[in-house]
Formats: sequence, structure tokens, C-alpha cells
Amino acid sequence: MVFAIQRPSMKKWLEKLLEGGEVIAPVRGPGGDVVFSTISSPAQVVWDFGNPLHPPKQFVLPQTDPLARIKRNGQRHEVEPIYDDARRILFNVRSCDVKGIAFLTRMHEMEPADASYLRRANRLTVISLACNTPCPPGFCVCTDSGPFLSDGYDIQLTDLGKNYLVEVGSEKGEAAVSEAADLFRKATEGELLQRKKLETAARNRFGQETCHFASAMRRISTGRVQDSLWDKMSDWCLECGGCNLVCPTCYCFSVKDLGRDGTWIRCRMWDSCQYAAFTLEASGHNPREHRKERMKRRFFHKVSAQYYTRDSMVGCVGCGRCIKVCLGTTDMPAVVAAIRKGKWHE
Amino acid sequence: MLTVPTTCPFCACGCGFYLLANKGELVGVAPSETHPVSLGRLCARGWGAHEAALWGDRVCQPLVNRNGKLQSASWVEALDYVTGRIKDLIAAGKSIGVLGSPRASNEENFLAGKLARAGFQTNNVDFCFHSICRPLFAGLEDVCGEYAPSISLDDIEASQTILLIEGDLAQTHPRAAFSVMKAVERGAHLITTGYIRTQMARLSSLHLQATPGNKGEVINGLLAAVLHLGLKDRTSVAVDCEGYDALRGDIETVKITEEMRQAAEWIAHAKRATFLMAPTSGHGDQTRNDAAALATLAAITGHLDRPGSGLLPLLARSNVRGACDMGIAPDRLPGNQPLCDGRAQQRLQDLWGKKLPSTRGLEAEDILQSVSGLIVLADDPPSVLPMGQRAMAALGKIEFLVVLDAFVTPTVRIAHAVLPIASSAETEGTLTNMEGRVQRLRVATDPHGEARTGWQVLAELCARFDVNVSYASATDVLREIGQAAPRYARTEQRASDDGWGGRLVKDSDRGKFKLCATAVAALTSAERPHVLVRDGAFDWGRDPLVSFSPTLSRDSQSQRKLFPNGFVEICKQDADGLGVLVGRQVKLTSVHGDAVVPIRVRTDLAPGVLLVPYAFRDHVANVLGTDSVTAVKVEQA
Repeated sequence: MVFAIQRPSMKKWLEKLLEGGEVIAPVRGPGGDVVFSTISSPAQVVWDFGNPLHPPKQFVLPQTDPLARIKRNGQRHEVEPIYDDARRILFNVRSCDVKGIAFLTRMHEMEPADASYLRRANRLTVISLACNTPCPPGFCVCTDSGPFLSDGYDIQLTDLGKNYLVEVGSEKGEAAVSEAADLFRKATEGELLQRKKLETAARNRFGQETCHFASAMRRISTGRVQDSLWDKMSDWCLECGGCNLVCPTCYCFSVKDLGRDGTWIRCRMWDSCQYAAFTLEASGHNPREHRKERMKRRFFHKVSAQYYTRDSMVGCVGCGRCIKVCLGTTDMPAVVAAIRKGKWHE
Repeated sequence: MLTVPTTCPFCACGCGFYLLANKGELVGVAPSETHPVSLGRLCARGWGAHEAALWGDRVCQPLVNRNGKLQSASWVEALDYVTGRIKDLIAAGKSIGVLGSPRASNEENFLAGKLARAGFQTNNVDFCFHSICRPLFAGLEDVCGEYAPSISLDDIEASQTILLIEGDLAQTHPRAAFSVMKAVERGAHLITTGYIRTQMARLSSLHLQATPGNKGEVINGLLAAVLHLGLKDRTSVAVDCEGYDALRGDIETVKITEEMRQAAEWIAHAKRATFLMAPTSGHGDQTRNDAAALATLAAITGHLDRPGSGLLPLLARSNVRGACDMGIAPDRLPGNQPLCDGRAQQRLQDLWGKKLPSTRGLEAEDILQSVSGLIVLADDPPSVLPMGQRAMAALGKIEFLVVLDAFVTPTVRIAHAVLPIASSAETEGTLTNMEGRVQRLRVATDPHGEARTGWQVLAELCARFDVNVSYASATDVLREIGQAAPRYARTEQRASDDGWGGRLVKDSDRGKFKLCATAVAALTSAERPHVLVRDGAFDWGRDPLVSFSPTLSRDSQSQRKLFPNGFVEICKQDADGLGVLVGRQVKLTSVHGDAVVPIRVRTDLAPGVLLVPYAFRDHVANVLGTDSVTAVKVEQA
């Protein structure tokens, strides 16, 4: 179903959505950055923005995620799960992040399914805003995750100038539209055509940032990347873990119990496979002791055919965040290019 | 979800990020693209900056020692107890000391200094980490007079040549290492010196291997090579400087290698060059002399006067520069002004309305050894001072020990009174990074339990010692800092703005330089042919910001568990020569004494050098004595 809504009516729709639950949208943060935040008024929402550096995956997979409460009961311990049942609407999220959340959900649905994640994800409605203009470091066109989406969204908005095109992709999306059904009308043929034109134009406006996964995948999956290349590249990484933490498709975690007033809250926390201690074993043995081994592992997971076959996509949505946060020079396009060419900084 | 812009509390690069808080608890960190230092990038520590405050063992109530046990007390009770005991000690003519901290804000440090000077009438004020960086500062001041760097991390990135003296920059200051990396990627010449082929050394255009035994030769060699280039336009500034003739004499016989000549050429011809020096280990005055010689090298190549060029001391902890600027030193007043500066002394007396002591106080290590009453602000001396065990023993003997901290540290456990204060995530205040940028800390969550903000507790203590204090907020303290330290004047106006609100404290005009070469001293002998070096300047693993963070503490905890007796590292060649195997023990003997420790082999270490990580320094305390470098005999144990 495809609708249209007039630009001024967006405010009324958001007001309706706010009545029904928590709405999270990109807002101008106190330091000047655009950040995803819970809004209390439609006026807070920014419409013309570069994608926030901190990804919206935090609303399905928080950096510190309480999973269970553990209480002592005499000689025994009682464990009760903690579920986050809040209904949330993620508004004005970009195409790459929609793909990212879909990727995470697919992974957490695999057996054994992750009930905590899925409870949160199932109550989340994702309303995306297609990218008429690609963002500077983005290369979503190389990962089939933007600038416009063909699936995976609950609602996809496209800015047509005076109106927004509203593509509904799920029951949750239908529900969000029906909150204020009188604000929407059926989209015209002209509007659908305009959306197509905008998509084509956006695709043609991608900058220099490209990432040729196919040939890198061939090389990495067939063991044709020299060890010395990983050696060289690993010297250009400062092991900050930023690439993992902002990656919309990364989900590695560690677990720790937080003691509070005689009970413990078991928390899942974001972790990075680039940290030496991520695979450090209690014996002191570390199967991936050297940084080059950890780096190799990361890119094998992201780019190899083995995982592509399982996930039907590379482990990257082309958002370009790793380029911005990399405290070094080993972001996704740089490493993919090096794998493809067998050269680094030459 | 609250999104609070604040400053990173770890190293002195001074990155900024958002702390994320949900229902009154910290839940994460988000990067900022608009922060002038970090520009969206953070290191692993920055990404884990919310963890210690959330997961840490926190002091939640005032504690006082009753019958040998720390028991909870009310604030009034605890403050009365502290005031009464210290007044008794002062009345009995016993000495009191105050230790500030690079983990505390400018406001907290300033008030700690005010409490000591105006309240206790003593200049026994210092911070423990000062003992590590004091020789470095002294060396720079020998050449430049008062030294405050005027270059930024961005200047490193724009440099054509970078000289990095020792230290593992990638570990200690990842944000600065990133700037170096970007410069190298753009084609800058990176010259590294040191005894380890660190990550930065592997990226360098030239690595000058320098062991503690021949480090002086390398720095002098660079000086000699620069002067031999005969670049009149560059070195003309030097000719008029004090010490120029002596310098020429000192380096006349110095051997210049081809590598040194190449390095000198890159340094001297660069439009912009940066010199990075971490506090290094050296015998006696070696560190001070090396720092002076490095500053001389920068001066004679004109890089101390040129915009975008300069020398940046690499400070391991977040607010080292702030603590110095707040006068947390036995011989300095706020503004880093010398104690003997009559005008500065008078200005402070007028400001505080009190006569202030004029005799030089004791340095941190001596304070621990000799005072009867000690107030420690947000620090754990045994984990910071070079001789940790000795510091712990000294703390145990202090008649009355008061600790203000947010975290339960070993020092808190043996205190007679503990006053709980807010962590950096729970307080207003400012930190000064190594570039001189004064940046705000903001409140993301409430302090734990009954803890109060540090500046409030210190102001309360000041009031109890008849010191004039009337602050409604941390900004009021910052305003007073501006009156006491001219460089901080009106800082509060910028810092209280919305947004990041940082302000760079500018360096004063430079005077003439006083040039000198460094001393070259033979360390080893036939009897003791190896050098044992205390590696690094700080053990993050025992800082509460790391040790209480589940993610950040893993490596150091694992190492301590696996090596309860510590270890020393040796290069493969030396290990083979001695016939020692990995994990086996060796006996080290120096003029000070001996110790038996396990050995680990590493491939990137220079021959003849044995390293003991800062974390394990106490296991070879008998061998090192008061030195950070010493000649040793190594035998199979």
C-alpha cells in the first residue's frame, strides 16, 4: 500500500504516534551532533540531516542490556528474565539502518532464538526516510541497502517536496498509518513515478566511496589473502573497537552481573572482536592473540562467502560509520580494497 | 534516555563524547562528530567510559574509623571528625599534607590547594603522578622558562616531520597516535626512538634504536647533525640564545650516523614539525636532560617559534595539566606560577584574604613519608607512585588519613575517614587537556548513595578551616580560578556555553631559550651488562576507571592472575644467550639488591634491555631501588 501525506500534516501524525508510545527520532543533540533520542514534541525532529554516528541498533540491542534478575533465596538462586516490553517507533531512520536492524533480527531469530532481543524488536515499528541525497561516506549502493529500500521497512517515507510518499511494508506499518488514517490519501501514479526518478537520481549521485565486495569475497573465501597483508594492515589499527560498536550489523557481546541491593542484574554489553581480551580464555590462552588474527576474523565474518550464503548479504550495510569513527585507517572500504588488490598503502 | 556531552576522563588527549543514561543509570557512550578533539573518534577506553561509574565498587556513605573498622557515619559526623582530628594535629605542631589528582577536576584540585595553603597553612601539596612527569617538565623549563605547549593534536596531523621519543603512543594516547598515523599516511616523516619497535616505530620512516644506555648519544647526535647542516636561516635564532657556544662545544665530538643526518635533515627542513615526548625512564637526571636536549633541538630548528610546530609532552592522565595549573605542587601557585613569585603570592593572598605560607612544601613521595595528617583527593598513591609498596607502607603509618573518592581503592580501605564524592560522570567541572583546552564535565547521573560533588565537600572543609568560600556552583569556583591563574581568566564564560564549550589556554610569549645538550653516561659494566628498565609511566590496570570496567579490565586482570609474581621481558637473542626459557625465572642483581622473577620473551625489544611493566615494578623493587633504570646481572634462577 502506498499513500501520500502533506508535509504540514507530518506534525499531526507524529503527535498521534506520540500518544501511543515512545517515539525515537534524530534530533539535534546538546553538543551539536544529530543523535537518535526519544522525542516529546514533533518540533524536535530534524528532517535534513546526516545519519547520526551512533546507530539506532541501541534501541533493539542496547549497549548495556539487562537480561535477567538473579535473587538469592535461601540456599538457591532465583532467576527471572527481564523483558523490555515498551512499544517504540523509530522515526526518520535511514535505509542502511533499517537493513541493519533486519540483519540483527534475522540473526537473533536463529535457534536458539533470543527472546530478550525479539521481544524488543517485535514491538518496534521502523519508519524510514529514503535518502534523496546520499550521505558523504555512505556506500549503501554497494551493499544493496539504500539509498531507497524495496523491503525490510514497516514504513518508508520519501520526501517529494510538498508531500511525503508513504510506502507501507508490514502490519506494524499499517497500524502506524491507521493511527491517523484521515491524514493519508492514496498516492498518485505521478508520485510513484517521482519516487522512482528520485531513486535513480540518488543512485547516480554516489560519491567516490565505493566498496567492491564481490572480488574481495572471492579472495577472502578462497584463502588468497596473504598473511603479510593482514600484518601490514593491523599496524594501521589502534584497536579502538569503534568499527564494531557503531556497525549496524555487529552484535558481539560480553556478559557481566551488576550487583544492586542484594540482587544481580545479568547484563549483555556491546563488545568488540578487535579487543585482545574478547577471545582471551581463563587459562590465559588467546586463540586470536595478535591483532592481525582478529582483523582477519572480522573481515572474514563480514565479507566471506560462507557468511554471505547464510545471511544473504555481506555483514555491511554501507552506512560509512566505520570510516568516520576509525581511529586508524582500516575502515571497511579501505580493507576491502586492500583485499581485492592484495596491496596496502602501496 | 539522557544524552549528556562531557569530557573523557582517561588520558590527556581530552576527547569528548556523550554519556548515555537511562533511568538514572549510565548505559553507554556515543561519539561526537562536532567535538573539536575527537571528531567522532574514540579509543577503547573512551568507548568504555561509562562502565567504571556503573559497575565500580563505589563509596556511597561517609565512613569513619571506629575501633579499627571503617563504619558509616553521617556527613556532619564525618566532617566534624575530620576537622577535629586535623585541628588537633595542627595544634600539636604536626605536619599536614594534601594530595590532589589528575583524576579530579580543576575545581576540585584548586580547592584542594586552597585548603592546604589557606586552611592548613602548608605548601605540602602535590599529586602522585607529578613524580613521574616532574623531570620532563623541569627539562622543558630549563630551556624554555615557563613551558606550556601551544600546539594541538591537529598540528601533529599537519606536520611534515614528527619526532617521537620513546613510549608506546598507540597504547598511552591513541588519539594522538591517530594524528601521527594520519600524518604518515599523508607522507609525513615519522622518526621514532626507543628500545622497543612499537606500532608507531613500525610505521616510521626511520627508527633510531636507543637504549637507556645510548639514548643521550642519539639525542646529542641529532643536535650535532642539525648544527652540521649549517642552515643559517633556521638556526640563526639559536645563535643569540644562552648556552649556544657551550652546546657547540658539547656536541663537537659526537658521532653522527647517516640515520641521524637524515633525521636532522627532515626535522630542519620541515615547515611544520612536532616533537612528542612521554615521561621516559632514565638514570638520575637523564629524563630531565633528555627533555632539555629535545627542547633545544626544537628551538634550534626554529620549531618552537613557528605556528603549527612545537613540542608536546605526552601526559598519561586526563588532568595532569589542570592539576599543575591549579598549583598542585609544593613550589607552585595556581597558574603554575613559582611560589617565590612575590606578585603571584600577593595576588593570591588578596584573593583569599589570608596570609599564605612561603616555604617550599614536600613532594608527593616525601609527603607520604613525613606528614602526620594527609588528605588524598581521588587517587591511590600505591598504584601511581614508582615505589608502590613503599607508598603503601608509608600510608599505613600516617596518623590520620582522609580520602575523598568515588571508588573503593586500596587507599580508601586503610583510611581513617572516607568522604564519598561524585565520579566524573556525576559532577560539574572542567578538565584541561594536554593541548591546554579547558573542557567541561557534565552531570549524567546523580552521585551514588550519599556522595556529594567533590568541590562541595572541599569547600565545606575549607569553610571549617576559616577559609573564605562562597560558591553556588562549580562555575563560581572556575571564576575564582580565573582570578588566581591569569591564563584561566574568563574561562567560565566559554565553558558554561551550551555545546562543548572548550577554551584553549594560550601560552604566554616566549622568551629566549637556554640551550643545552644531554648528558651521556655509561650505565652498564662488564659485571652488570644488561639494563633493567621500568617500562611506561602509569598502570591503567589499577586505576579505578579501568579496574572497575568489565570490558577494559580484562587484559590487566588476566595478566595479574597469570603472573602473580610479575615478569620481566627480554629479547629472544638475550634469552637464548642466557639459556633461559620462557616462563622460567631469572635472578636479577643490581647495586641495590636482587630479585627472582619469571621471564617473557618478546621479539620487538632491543638487545641488552630488560623491561619490567609499570604494573609489575614492585616485584623488582629491590633491584630498581629508587631508579627507573639500572644496570643488572641476569642469571638463570
